[in-house]
Amino acid sequence: MKILVIIPAYNEEATIKNVIQRIKLKMPQADILVVNDGSKDNTSRKAKTAGAKVIDLPYNLGIGGAMQTGYLYAKENGYDIAVQVDGDGQHDPSYIKELIEPIINNSADVVVGSRYISKTNYKSSVFRRMGMIFFSFLVSTLTNQKFKDTTSGFRAVNKEVINYFSNHYPVDYPEVDVLIRLKKRNFRIAELPVEMYKRQGGKSSITTFRSLYYMLKVSLAIIIGTLRSSEE
Amino acid sequence: MVINVYSLSIMFSVFFLLLVIELVRKNKLQERYCLLWILMSIILLVLSSTPVIIETVSAWLDIKNPPSLLFLFGLGYLILYNLATTVTVSKQSERITRLTQEIALLRQKITDMNSK
Repeated sequence: MKILVIIPAYNEEATIKNVIQRIKLKMPQADILVVNDGSKDNTSRKAKTAGAKVIDLPYNLGIGGAMQTGYLYAKENGYDIAVQVDGDGQHDPSYIKELIEPIINNSADVVVGSRYISKTNYKSSVFRRMGMIFFSFLVSTLTNQKFKDTTSGFRAVNKEVINYFSNHYPVDYPEVDVLIRLKKRNFRIAELPVEMYKRQGGKSSITTFRSLYYMLKVSLAIIIGTLRSSEE
Repeated sequence: MVINVYSLSIMFSVFFLLLVIELVRKNKLQERYCLLWILMSIILLVLSSTPVIIETVSAWLDIKNPPSLLFLFGLGYLILYNLATTVTVSKQSERITRLTQEIALLRQKITDMNSK
C-alpha cells in the first residue's frame, strides 16, 4: 500500500522539523509531502532539510486549497492512502498506524482521529468546546451517524476519497463540511480515539471573532450541503 | 392579498433567498460569497414584513414616504456590496498576475531543461 502523509503548513518553522521526524520514526514506510501554503518564514527550507517533499504554493490558499493540493499530488502519483497531519504538532504520528488500519482491511473509506471518544488530555477554551459540541450535534443529526469530533483534521482516506477530494474540496474550513458531503456519497466514515496536544509552537490562525464567523459560515455550508444532490 | 411595496418586497426577498441557495447548491456560487446575500435577504424580509420598523425610522429621519427607506436600504447595500466585490476582484487580479508569472518562469525552466 502506497501511503502519503500530507502536512499542510503555514508559518510552522518552529514545529515542522519535529513533526516530520516523528512521522519518519513512527511510519517509515510512508512518503511525506509538506504543502507550504505561502509561508513567510522558513517552513519550506526546514521541511526540505528534514527530508520531506515540499510543494511551495505561490500564495496562501488556506487549509482547503492546501490540502486539495496534497490530494491532487496523491492522485497523480497513485497513492492508496492519504493521511492528513497538521504541521503544528497537535497530531501524534503514533496513531497513524491505527488510523489507516480500517482502510487497509476495507472496513472504512475515511477514518477520523477523534479527541472526544474517550477521555483524553486535550484541553481547549470553553468557547471552542461549545462550538465543537454544536458541530457534533449538527453533523450527527444531519448524517444519522454519531460524530464526536467533527473539526479534527487528523484523518486518513482511501483512493476513492482521494479522487473525490481532488475534484471537490471546500475552500474554507473544510473539515466539518466534508463529513456531510462524504456521507451523501455513501462513503464509510469511522472515528477512532486519539490523543492530541496543544499546538507546540507558532500561532493559530483561528481567533475568537473568526471562531464565531467560522461557526456561522460552516453551519450555513452544512445546511446547504444537505440540500445538494449526490451528483456534484 | 394586498399588492404594495411591502408585499412585493417580501416576495422578492423570498425568491432571492431561494435563488441564492440554489446557486450554492449547484456549486455556481461559493459559500463564502453567499453569506452577505443571505444576510441582505433576511434583513429585507424582516423590514418588509414589519412595516412598523420602516415607519418609525422614517419618522425619525423626516422621510415623507416610508417605502423610500426600503429603497435606501437596498441601494446602500448594493453600493457596499459592489465595493466588497471590487476588493475581491483586486485580490484575484493579484493572484492571476502571480500565476501568469509562475507559468512563464516554468516554461523557461522547461526550455532550459530540454536544451541540456
